[in-house]
Amino acid sequence: MNSRYILGLALAITGFGFAPVAAAQDRIQLDSEVEVERTKSEGGQTKVDYLPPVGVVPGDRLRFTTGYDNRGSTAAENFVVTNPLPEAVALAKNEDAFVVSVDQGQTFGTLAELQIKETTGEYRAAELTDVTHIRWTLERVAPGETGTLTYFGIVR
Amino acid sequence: MIRTSKLLGAASIVTLAALGATPAFADGTGAGTTIQNTVTVSYSVGGVAQNDQQATDQFVVDRKINLTVAEVGGTQTVVSPGATQQVTTFRVTNLSNDTADFALSVAQQAGGPGAFGGTDNFNTTGETIYIDTDNDGDWADETPVSYIDELAPDQSRTVFVVSNVPLNQVSGDVASVVLTATAHAGGTAGSQGALLTTSANNTANTVDTVLADGAGRTDAQYDGRFSAADDYIVSAAALTVLKTSSVVQDPVSGTNNPKAIPGAIVQYCISVTNAAGSATAAGVNVVDDVPAGLTYTATNFPVRTNSTSCDVAGATDTGSFSGTRVSGTLANIAGGETRTLIFQAVID
Repeated sequence: MNSRYILGLALAITGFGFAPVAAAQDRIQLDSEVEVERTKSEGGQTKVDYLPPVGVVPGDRLRFTTGYDNRGSTAAENFVVTNPLPEAVALAKNEDAFVVSVDQGQTFGTLAELQIKETTGEYRAAELTDVTHIRWTLERVAPGETGTLTYFGIVR
Repeated sequence: MIRTSKLLGAASIVTLAALGATPAFADGTGAGTTIQNTVTVSYSVGGVAQNDQQATDQFVVDRKINLTVAEVGGTQTVVSPGATQQVTTFRVTNLSNDTADFALSVAQQAGGPGAFGGTDNFNTTGETIYIDTDNDGDWADETPVSYIDELAPDQSRTVFVVSNVPLNQVSGDVASVVLTATAHAGGTAGSQGALLTTSANNTANTVDTVLADGAGRTDAQYDGRFSAADDYIVSAAALTVLKTSSVVQDPVSGTNNPKAIPGAIVQYCISVTNAAGSATAAGVNVVDDVPAGLTYTATNFPVRTNSTSCDVAGATDTGSFSGTRVSGTLANIAGGETRTLIFQAVID
């Protein structure tokens, strides 16, 4: 228990390992994946594929997926998944499944209820491109439960 | 929707916020930028907050090559036959997300419609390309080049194509010249990089090249090139000459309704008109033989020139008479203008 705590702390501090960092003994397993959306026409129909992120240039649409897996024997509660958007990525599509932040994660809400203070002191409605963080909240993840959380972004 | 924020979760968000600053991207995310997505999960078990979990995934943004070449001025360059060092102007803009070199080449369009109307029907010669490095709009203080070196994303350069007009062209002739810029790899100042092509094999986490340019005047979409045309239109001087005469005085009636009887004075007006829209005619020399049966008189009326009509009051200069011939040199005649030579003679 002690050693796991230290490992977990180390990960929280260093933060950004390049490989998926969920260690084997962690009870919650996470898997983060990014794919690029490619459309092609086949027989007059447009087909959308999600492919490994190669040949990605500004304007491309990306799908970010976080998979979770509770490998423990007890339920995880107040399961809060926070995802800062990479600075070169703008949110492409708002969804009901998550709340967003437009102030670097200080406050979260639905996009419709958030406002941006302009330099003139006036407020305007927040837009997709203002979003800095998104957050999913799950009340309970039962033992053995798996799932995925997805958002779409566009390379700025 | 539950919006719960555990203390532990809040702490990790603060550390991440510093990395989440969103700079402005004027020209798209730069090639080679790593896009790293990190998620953090906070949760509790049995009411006890557990350690955060994180997962990341990353890739690099590739090089997107896009450029435009646009004609500057929106009109033809008006030239005279035989004119040298005549200028057409273009602007080359790097719309890529990476610095690149742009090779410049100029081609003569072979027939077909001009960029600004008319039909291409001749070629200029001695085309030379200059870049306006000091942005003063003048090519004469530049040296000829074959490429734009190290053009940063969203930057543009003015490019001059300077060429000569053959002497035998006539008014209305059109020569279209096409400037093509071709993207080459940037990175080394002072030398043109390798030609950029779309990478055959896209490799994860390396910077590949994607040609994403549009189709210009003579180039195709996604070929790493862009072209635009500008026209030279020839405006030659088109002179017409008209000679008129009137009796201004006779020995019997004087100036009152004079008749062309021996001893009467006849005033001749030689009128040179340059057609509207033509190039200015310079050094026009008018020579006329005094008709037989008339004798030139210079006693009180020498040869007068450069009136804009047959009214001698507007004349500003004098011509000359020698033998049987009057002559005079007219000042420059712009398109649509008229200048005259006026002299008088006595009927024998």
